[in-house]
Amino acid sequence: MQNLKPLIWTIGGGKGGTGKSFFTGSLGFLLAARGCKTLLVDLDLGAANLHTIVGLPYPDKSIADFIHKRVANLEETIVSTPYPNLSLISGAMNNLDMPNLAHEQKLKLQRSLTRLPFEYILLDLGAGTAYNTIDFFLIADVGIFVTTPEPTAIENIYRLIRSVYFRKIHQVLKTYDFKTLTGEAERENPLATISNPDLLLPIIARLDPAKGAILEEALGTFEFKLALNQLRKQDSQNIGMLICKIVGKHLGLKMHPIGNIGFDDRVHYAVCKMRPFLELYPYAQTALDLQECCRFLLSANDSPPVLRKIMERR
Amino acid sequence: MEINRQRSPFIQQNYYEVLEVLPDALPLEIRRAYRRAVSLYEENAIASYSFFSEEDRKEILACIEKAYLTLINPETRESYDCRLTELGILGQRSVDRNRAQEPVAIYDFQKTHGSGPAPARRIDELKSLVEQSLLIQNILTQDVLSGADLQKIRTCLMVTLEEISHQTNIRTDILRALEDEKMDMLPPTVYLKGFLKAYSRCLALDEQAVTIAYLKRIGKSDSSSPKLG
Repeated sequence: MQNLKPLIWTIGGGKGGTGKSFFTGSLGFLLAARGCKTLLVDLDLGAANLHTIVGLPYPDKSIADFIHKRVANLEETIVSTPYPNLSLISGAMNNLDMPNLAHEQKLKLQRSLTRLPFEYILLDLGAGTAYNTIDFFLIADVGIFVTTPEPTAIENIYRLIRSVYFRKIHQVLKTYDFKTLTGEAERENPLATISNPDLLLPIIARLDPAKGAILEEALGTFEFKLALNQLRKQDSQNIGMLICKIVGKHLGLKMHPIGNIGFDDRVHYAVCKMRPFLELYPYAQTALDLQECCRFLLSANDSPPVLRKIMERR
Repeated sequence: MEINRQRSPFIQQNYYEVLEVLPDALPLEIRRAYRRAVSLYEENAIASYSFFSEEDRKEILACIEKAYLTLINPETRESYDCRLTELGILGQRSVDRNRAQEPVAIYDFQKTHGSGPAPARRIDELKSLVEQSLLIQNILTQDVLSGADLQKIRTCLMVTLEEISHQTNIRTDILRALEDEKMDMLPPTVYLKGFLKAYSRCLALDEQAVTIAYLKRIGKSDSSSPKLG
């Protein structure tokens, strides 16, 4: 096994029922079909169901075994799926307090994830904006947000994006001990707090250009993708574009739409059958939309795994 | 440095940034940008739902409104431009805008070319230019004309390949091949002759002389064709 650092794609979305697990499962299926060793990780610890989507109703191992130290390392919790190249770490469990990971447990889990021998690791996050959810965005190579074109979902997606962004700023500020600087900025303009990054960042850059540059660099590499799911025919096709525009203009955050995924009643049927939609209806419009999203995500990566392999060998 | 107590940096932007148009934008573009901006920020807009507080939204909409009303009126826009230029934001762009108010290429459909009285006047102009220019006269005395020579004449007369293409209906890549002497792109000699004549007509040159001189250059002089037959 080559000792490669896997690419981590984190898939989240504020609201439940927007198709995060469906999207994660489908992306995993597509990546595996392309011959990439792919691992799906269900991190929706309170309401795990990714295993059902990939056709494993009763996974015999789950992430709980790792957290409760019933196994020595995370690799032992990996189960294989009926599909070649596709593996899963299930989140299914029956413990009451599992959704609330302790901080150390979370760090240990994150460390272990980045060491797994896969090309792609897809993290399926739960709804909501708990730290346990948003902190997994911070270790992601690609952060993907899934939403539907409904006010409720869009409201939650904005909340999630803000939470992740503020958490990131907070993390950077903490690492470099910006405390005095933020205090000073706040004295200058009482509104310039972490929750108003568009005000805070310019002030920091002015007060201390060196630290401003660090912050800018850390945030500049931060980039999100947005997938618009369950788009009906009558919905406006450019909502994704507009959301990204608002996020870019008013939060100063880079966000790219990766595509619209059409609504299809047969998704429901496929889930009921517990088989991947892409396997049952590979030529449905929704399947083609998903493929387009996957292709976009792969092309957006600066160095696809194949290339990284070559570079590593050198 | 001025202390900034405004809530949102959005309203610190200049009106061109607010509407996301270039400083030389036409009224048409400004109106379009305004409609786009309003539809993004208005109360029932789905894409910005819940992103702004009610207060912020009103502020932004008011700002867009003000930007539009200022830029759509030529007088207020002029004075606003002056202010921006004074602040050093706009530079010397206001000069550009006057140019943009003339008809621009976007309306310059192909069909409006090649007919009407304009070309005739242009031919007279070109004729006198050809007679006056020493460089062109020098080239024309040559026995053999290369593609580069033709190009030199054309650029000297400031005629573009596209113009010739509009008038003659010969594709620009063929015309370019003619000037670059790319043999594999050129049509059979019979057609080539026609093309050369059309080309020289556009430049107000002697059709016959240019055609013969060019054909000599590429080794397909007139005398050789009857032999083939």
